[in-house]
Amino acid sequence: MNQERFISLVKAEQEPLRRFLLGLCCGDDALADDIAQDALVRAYVASSNFLGLSKFSTWLFRIAYNCYIDHCRKPGKDYADLESREALNVASDDASDARFRYQQLYQALEKIPEKEKAAIVLFYFEDKSIKEISSILQMPVGTVKYQLNQGRGHLKQYIRL
Amino acid sequence: MKDLEQYLRDNKPVVKDDPTFILKTRNRLEAVEGIKAEVDRQYTRGRRALVIALVAGLVVGVAVTAIAFLYPVSPDSVAKGILDSLCLFLQSYKQFLLLPVALLAIALGLVLTNKPSKSFI
Repeated sequence: MNQERFISLVKAEQEPLRRFLLGLCCGDDALADDIAQDALVRAYVASSNFLGLSKFSTWLFRIAYNCYIDHCRKPGKDYADLESREALNVASDDASDARFRYQQLYQALEKIPEKEKAAIVLFYFEDKSIKEISSILQMPVGTVKYQLNQGRGHLKQYIRL
Repeated sequence: MKDLEQYLRDNKPVVKDDPTFILKTRNRLEAVEGIKAEVDRQYTRGRRALVIALVAGLVVGVAVTAIAFLYPVSPDSVAKGILDSLCLFLQSYKQFLLLPVALLAIALGLVLTNKPSKSFI
């Protein structure tokens, strides 16, 4: 795959990819974009291995998720204050209740396990099917359903509706 | 649970519009291309050196074998001639042998480390 072809595919996928990572990073858009850039470089280097057996977006999301996991495993991972991160992400003139809504969501996402968070983000924010999530997270379909169920249960404890 | 699902669907994170994102990606990919080209260059250089060494070894081996067959030398004359004097020389100056070897190693190291490389950056 040449660079122009790769860039054209990335242009179509950049927003969902960045949103996926933004959800995983609980609102830290700078970190999400950094991980997205790393993932794109990794994907480009490995693009000769992409055989087209799955959708490009599925393949790209899987690489991005692996990059995110690598980032989480790095020693000394330090998240900035959630409130300040959230404030950066939401436009400054947004209503305070919208800000509170995002803050509550990100705080809740931060409290649940990574796999549950990934399943929730992919299913509800990216509208991916269970099969696609199974392929991205490299886990069986039944496990994805279990993670979603667990994730919903955990989120319900932290989100006031 | 339906409420939660609706809440999650209604609150998808909003990605800030960043026109520089693709530009940054493109720059990074250019850098990757540079690294790939440099790695390819190094690989080609290594392979070429290997092939040259192989061919040179074969040529020298064939030449030495041919000379040995065409101009046979009696072992006695060799023993009394060059080899004897070489052994005598090495035995006489064995305490100084380390110095030229060390100098050679240092010179080789300097030549290899100071070799100018065409950087892609």
